[in-house]
Amino acid sequence: MNVSRPQTPSQTAGPFLHIGMIPSTNTLIQPLPPGEPITLHGTIFDAEAAPVTDALIEMWHPEAGWVRSATDGEGAWQLAATRPATAPFVNLWIIARGINTPLQTRLYFPDTDWQSDPAMAHIPEARHATLVASQATTGAYRLDIRLGGEAETVFFDLKGEDT
Amino acid sequence: MTPLDWTRHPPALTPGYFSSLTRSPREGLIPLDPTEAELTGPVFGTQDIGEMDADLIHNAASPDAMAIGPRILVHGRVLDETGRGVPDALLEIWQANAGGRYRHARDGYLAPLDPDFSGFGRVLTDEDGGYRFDTVMPGAYPFPNGPNAWRPAHIHFSVFGWAFAQRLVTQMYFEGDPMIRHCPIVATLPSAEAVDALTARYDPDHDRPMDARAFRFDIVLRGRRATPMET
Ligand SMILES: [Fe+2]
Repeated sequence: MNVSRPQTPSQTAGPFLHIGMIPSTNTLIQPLPPGEPITLHGTIFDAEAAPVTDALIEMWHPEAGWVRSATDGEGAWQLAATRPATAPFVNLWIIARGINTPLQTRLYFPDTDWQSDPAMAHIPEARHATLVASQATTGAYRLDIRLGGEAETVFFDLKGEDT
Repeated sequence: MTPLDWTRHPPALTPGYFSSLTRSPREGLIPLDPTEAELTGPVFGTQDIGEMDADLIHNAASPDAMAIGPRILVHGRVLDETGRGVPDALLEIWQANAGGRYRHARDGYLAPLDPDFSGFGRVLTDEDGGYRFDTVMPGAYPFPNGPNAWRPAHIHFSVFGWAFAQRLVTQMYFEGDPMIRHCPIVATLPSAEAVDALTARYDPDHDRPMDARAFRFDIVLRGRRATPMET
């Protein structure tokens, strides 16, 4: 590729991202792809297992749906989504004060053949569990995200053809 | 899609910026080959933009009132790495008021709120990737990071291109601001060139005379939009 312009660098979203991204009016909405309605939820913890109360998480559905949630005073997030048909996962994108470059991870559905997803081949087996949700009730999937410390969540660096 | 260029983006752990200490993964990122899911994304459009979203001077003001502060306009283009404009890119922006205070429950800074300013904006790029919004110059503000740390004047940007892989969050600074070189968050950037890329230039050719000064800030998203002509 004839790359002539270097990428604009990232900077942290800081603690006040809600002003721009979760405004009180004028909420950004995208239609969800058709599919079984599901709920995704969890808590974001820092490296000392303290809840991250000022984060924002976005779910990027493999069939082009999109939703976002800010974490609450307990670090909890919740998203209404639909079950993907073409992949055993949804992509998650996380920003907060203290996160310099956004973190990208995935939520895999436990009731799929997630073990054979190509991404798993690059991940030590002991860390697989950090990406696989648990199903508390029908249609509700929970995934806690740990930014560091014990059982740190797997985060990805998306590659590309370097040509 | 091109890889994320780590000579441009800050690493997770930057001890001089204290908040990164407990919010930085240490295991190393796992390389991931992009699938269709990462090369596509939601499509935003004019239906997502309110009439006043790109006018921060008026969009939270009482009738006949205006936000307080030096009047500026910020404009530029959203580009891909080959320099082609990215149309229909959605920009979400937020900033402090002219005194350096955010309209946010958790901002307890001494400086007063401006009843006519919220600091929220949103804009969609045109067919050439161009964008523009009107606002007031944000003030510098202190933040907890050792005995005395200040943010330079800045505007926060969240950018959607056409794919998950392009999602960007960043901050724009202003040319000539002496606070830039003292800021621990600016210092997370890996090079002087990276700082320079986030520094908007005063652009007198685009001033509105007797009204507002112009600042120019171009944004380059990773990758390149495919065209049928390419081999
Ligand atoms: Fe800020």
